[in-house]
Amino acid sequence: MDKQHVAWSGIISLGAALMIGGSAFAADPIKIGIPVGLSGANSVVAPSVVQSAQLAADEINAKGGILGRQVELEVADDGSGAAGAQKAFDSLIFQKKANALITMETSAARNAGLPIVARGKVPFIYTSFYEGRSCSPYLYVDAWVPDQQVAPIVDYFMQKKGAKTFFLVGSDYAFGRGMLDFTRQYIQKKGGKILGEEYAPMDATDWTAIISKIRAANPDALVTSTAGGAPNVTLTKQLRAAGIKALYGNLAVDEGTAKGMGTDAEGIYISASYLTSIDSPKNKEFLAAMKKKFGAELKTPNDLSVPEYEGVYLYKAAVEKAKSTDTAAVIKALAEVSFEGPRGVIQMSKQRHAPLTMYLGQVQGDGSVKVLESFKDVDPGNQCPNLK
Amino acid sequence: MNRVLLSASPQLRKILGLALLALLAVGVAPFLLDIYTVNILVRSLLYACVALTVDILWGYTGILTFGQSAFFGIGAYACGLAFSHLGLSPTVAILAFVGGLAVAAATAALVGWLAFGYGVSPIYVSVVTLVLPIVVTQILFSGGTFTGSSSGLSGFDTVDLDLETWFWIAGGALVILTTAAWIFVRSDAGRLLVAIRENEQRCEYLGINTSLLKTMILVAAALVAAAAGYAYAAYTDVIAPELAGFVFGTELVIWVALGGRGTLIGPVVGAIVIDLVSAYLSGSLPFVWKLVIGLAFVLVIVVLPQGFVPLLRKGWRRLSRSAPPAEPISALRPAPGASRRHSTAGTSLALQHVSRHYGSLKVLAGIDLSVRPGELLSLVGPNGAGKTTLIRCIADGHERSGGRVLVQGNDIGRRSPQRCVAFGIGRKFQTANVFETLTVAECLRLARHRLERPSWWARGSTLSVPEAALNVISATGLDRELGAAVTHLSHGMKQALELAMVLALEPSVLLLDEPTAGLTKPERALIGGILTTLAREHALSILLVEHDLDFVREISSRVVVLHQGRIVLDGTVAEVVDSALVRTIYAGEEHAVTGAAR
Amino acid sequence: MSAQLLDIISSAAIFYIVAAGLLIVFGVMKIINFAHGGFLTIGGYAALVTTELGLNPWLALPLAALTGLVIGALVEHFVVRPLYARPLDAILATWGLGIVIGQLITIAFGREVQFVQSPVKGTTSLLGEDYSLYRLLLVIGALVLAAGLAAILQGTRLGLMTRAVIMNESLARGLGINSGLVRFASFSVGSALASLAGALITPLSSVDPNMGVPWLVNAFMLVLVSGTSLVSLAIATVVLGGAQVLISAFWSPILGSLTIVVLAAVILRIRPQGFARE
Repeated sequence: MDKQHVAWSGIISLGAALMIGGSAFAADPIKIGIPVGLSGANSVVAPSVVQSAQLAADEINAKGGILGRQVELEVADDGSGAAGAQKAFDSLIFQKKANALITMETSAARNAGLPIVARGKVPFIYTSFYEGRSCSPYLYVDAWVPDQQVAPIVDYFMQKKGAKTFFLVGSDYAFGRGMLDFTRQYIQKKGGKILGEEYAPMDATDWTAIISKIRAANPDALVTSTAGGAPNVTLTKQLRAAGIKALYGNLAVDEGTAKGMGTDAEGIYISASYLTSIDSPKNKEFLAAMKKKFGAELKTPNDLSVPEYEGVYLYKAAVEKAKSTDTAAVIKALAEVSFEGPRGVIQMSKQRHAPLTMYLGQVQGDGSVKVLESFKDVDPGNQCPNLK
Repeated sequence: MNRVLLSASPQLRKILGLALLALLAVGVAPFLLDIYTVNILVRSLLYACVALTVDILWGYTGILTFGQSAFFGIGAYACGLAFSHLGLSPTVAILAFVGGLAVAAATAALVGWLAFGYGVSPIYVSVVTLVLPIVVTQILFSGGTFTGSSSGLSGFDTVDLDLETWFWIAGGALVILTTAAWIFVRSDAGRLLVAIRENEQRCEYLGINTSLLKTMILVAAALVAAAAGYAYAAYTDVIAPELAGFVFGTELVIWVALGGRGTLIGPVVGAIVIDLVSAYLSGSLPFVWKLVIGLAFVLVIVVLPQGFVPLLRKGWRRLSRSAPPAEPISALRPAPGASRRHSTAGTSLALQHVSRHYGSLKVLAGIDLSVRPGELLSLVGPNGAGKTTLIRCIADGHERSGGRVLVQGNDIGRRSPQRCVAFGIGRKFQTANVFETLTVAECLRLARHRLERPSWWARGSTLSVPEAALNVISATGLDRELGAAVTHLSHGMKQALELAMVLALEPSVLLLDEPTAGLTKPERALIGGILTTLAREHALSILLVEHDLDFVREISSRVVVLHQGRIVLDGTVAEVVDSALVRTIYAGEEHAVTGAAR
Repeated sequence: MSAQLLDIISSAAIFYIVAAGLLIVFGVMKIINFAHGGFLTIGGYAALVTTELGLNPWLALPLAALTGLVIGALVEHFVVRPLYARPLDAILATWGLGIVIGQLITIAFGREVQFVQSPVKGTTSLLGEDYSLYRLLLVIGALVLAAGLAAILQGTRLGLMTRAVIMNESLARGLGINSGLVRFASFSVGSALASLAGALITPLSSVDPNMGVPWLVNAFMLVLVSGTSLVSLAIATVVLGGAQVLISAFWSPILGSLTIVVLAAVILRIRPQGFARE
């Protein structure tokens, strides 16, 4: 009885010690920093991005975390701009000591944050579609670039709708200019004519002057590339209020924002790597899980938020492959891992960017998007030839 | 250099000592604080440099400006644009720095011209300073890919210094700037700022070119802000339109208000503390913190206009029970060469067909008047006759509607009051128009500004004033009150002080508006004696507006009667006092006039 | 060309609606109410609440006006009254108040950009152009507002008292007019107008806690250039607003947005009374 007692005590103590000791290590969470536009232009879509990250973190933690460590999210507001991004990145990297940054933000914010990322030496997975050619040893992108997105819309307009003249409108910053730069060259290469190219500051709400110009030019098709969120809504509202009837291709609107626009959004053509109507088991599983977690608070998952979900999982895969959160190892691993998410199999293997399946759709009166055409595994092109 | 330090007053030595301590603290700090805090502090310290300029402009000179952010942005963009488009090299760095400062200075000069012109209201000044950052921001937006428009530019090759060095640069600059500002503000020239804030009109009538001064201060502030902006861009490697925006401009005002306007240390501490705390709280309690700041700001403006630091100072003083430092009391001596007689030849003041009307209302018409040196001319007439208007037309070239005014043979044209002072006009106002918060000595020194430039860093211990002013000062007992604040003086003393200040200008034409108003009989006799001596011995021309006809009779050599904007009588005391016309004009004052005739 | 004309008229109308409240406060109290932007925002959010509650969008207008009236009355009593003698400080205090309002709204509604339903949609044909019906209705709204204000000021006792106080407050008080009451009423009405304006402009764009700020600066400059006369304000909105539209249309929208502000500053420098008669 005594010996048994001692043996059991020993085993229990050892077990307790191991557990305590083990949990002391396991308790050290992996922090994922999310600097995102909670205020400013992106504030319309930011909540959906945060929700995607939260679902991914919850699912991962339920299955034991990454390498036995729990995932913790730290969200900071970057104000959708450069000045705010500086503060957010500083806070996340140096104060909260994030292990990685995984987020969607405006190009202004991203460009301002990259030097800080380089100083802080953390991996940065950028989950937003953007104008391309942003390269940093610490940066990976799992969303589309113009080389993947512009062709479907322009080709459709020119070939199926017979459009010959185009008018381009964008927000005046890296994204707006980069996208429309690519679009202009593509249209001209295909023999189309550009009647005008106008820009307004990111936070502009009054498009009256530009709409006057559009009316005067009377193009067959209008292609816009504003900052994601608010500018899309104000521009569309004012376009509709002015009665502009041209074909309307929007390079930068996501499904959630389109739904929020109500009937104004009807008829808009979009080209995206994610639509809620994608008919795959993974997508259905994802949507069901989101609905279950957020219920009535759910913001429509969209082309800006789903890559966030996949980004978190890609990070998990990379850390597991590298067997540590060490930046250099993780960065090397990120090019090699893949994850099958709602958008299909994602691997950031082409010069830090990912080949993606793209869908051309048209927004319907009830806010849903009807898929017109789909293109499998579109190559992102040569985004960062100097980075291997 | 040694002589300067040795001759430096104890006050100055104390300031320099404190500055040295501060520099030491800056040197040691990066090793005691964590990286994140140091990171934030570099930015806060640069912001504090700009807050300092806002305090000089607003707290000391009374110019409420929302526009310092514009200059900050100009400096930042000079750095960012140069490095982005021209690459990084010492030549580019220096050119960009100089270029940024030059653009900032030119913009400040333009703003000064716009905002500090004659007759511009203080609200307009604030308006222009509000418009400035908006204009700059929009220009930056319109720059397309050159300026990066909404997103700005980032990631450009920048000066590669480590964090500690940046901290030392920012902290060192702040300490040096604050010390320099402190010394300047306490110097004799620094008192000019307070004088302008307090009573700009009096400054103008003392011959001080307030517009030019304000523009100079603005340009200096712009240079400092631009330099801070340049450092900011070089450090953070990001330039964005928000740096020049008016949100930042108003934040600066808020920091200065909360820290304590007009205290220098208050705004510096306020800027650093609030920015630091904001950085820490922006993650957890962003809205509540901003709400607290907003409420504190409103509270401070309404209830505590001096901010929080003076409160703390009062508490500290009460704790340490030390007396506030004593004012260095000036000794007076007569100004050399000032007691010369003015030439008695010619006309010192001539008015030719001067008129003044407001729309269809004619206040003055066809005024022709000549005054010779040594004449003591009293201007009388019922209320509304236009007497004060006439004084204004003589002292201020903008005032009259038609005609010519010549002082010492010089046509004053459309010149503003301070230029008229240069011709020899000295105007004493009806109500004592002095600087309430300054001391008697400081007021007198300001009055000597035109003739003796004050030091930009030191406080003089002696003051030279002309004999005429000395007479007034000693006769009224002001020489025993040199260190007293003007606001504590009696009404009569304030009047005497203003007279002394005007005399310190060494005018050749003295304009007095009801100098005996509110004075006791002995005071009136004193003033009368002084004025007579001035006219007789110093050959001043004195023009005084008076209602006290006894006084007029006693001292005047000539009386001019004004009625409904016209001169109706111009002659000796006897001629005017006896005339029937005057009696009818002054109906009701008959007995005073007839009493003299007997 | 007729499109530009309609743009000018509708832009002028919108500026008039936004600036009228500020002008009344300035005329009576001689201070610039920098919380005007905050009241605009309050009006915008009142419209948001109306949309969220699923009510008829037209109800947003009286709701906004009422909210503005109540909050304006409180602000006048606690913040503005002590600062009557310090106009520069009044600018600052009301600016601080604008920040406080913005933060309270953010705490209550969140900081993201939101949208309200437009009470009227679509276009109508006018002068050969398809033009936004809502913008044209705003022109009618501005005319109604101008007429209403004129009627109150010229036709009622309170209006007469207000005009007296605008012209010469100490004289008015000497005649027994309760200028405290006039100031209280003016500020409250001015705030109500600001909130009404906020509710009217949001269907054209969006709602966020800082929406009032860009309007504030333009309104501020328009008021300074108009002095104390509503007629001058109408002239100013047409001239300056028109210049803004033309420059935005034919040159650059970004520099165009500067037009009102820069032109007003220059006009005031040349002629400090601006468009006012005297």
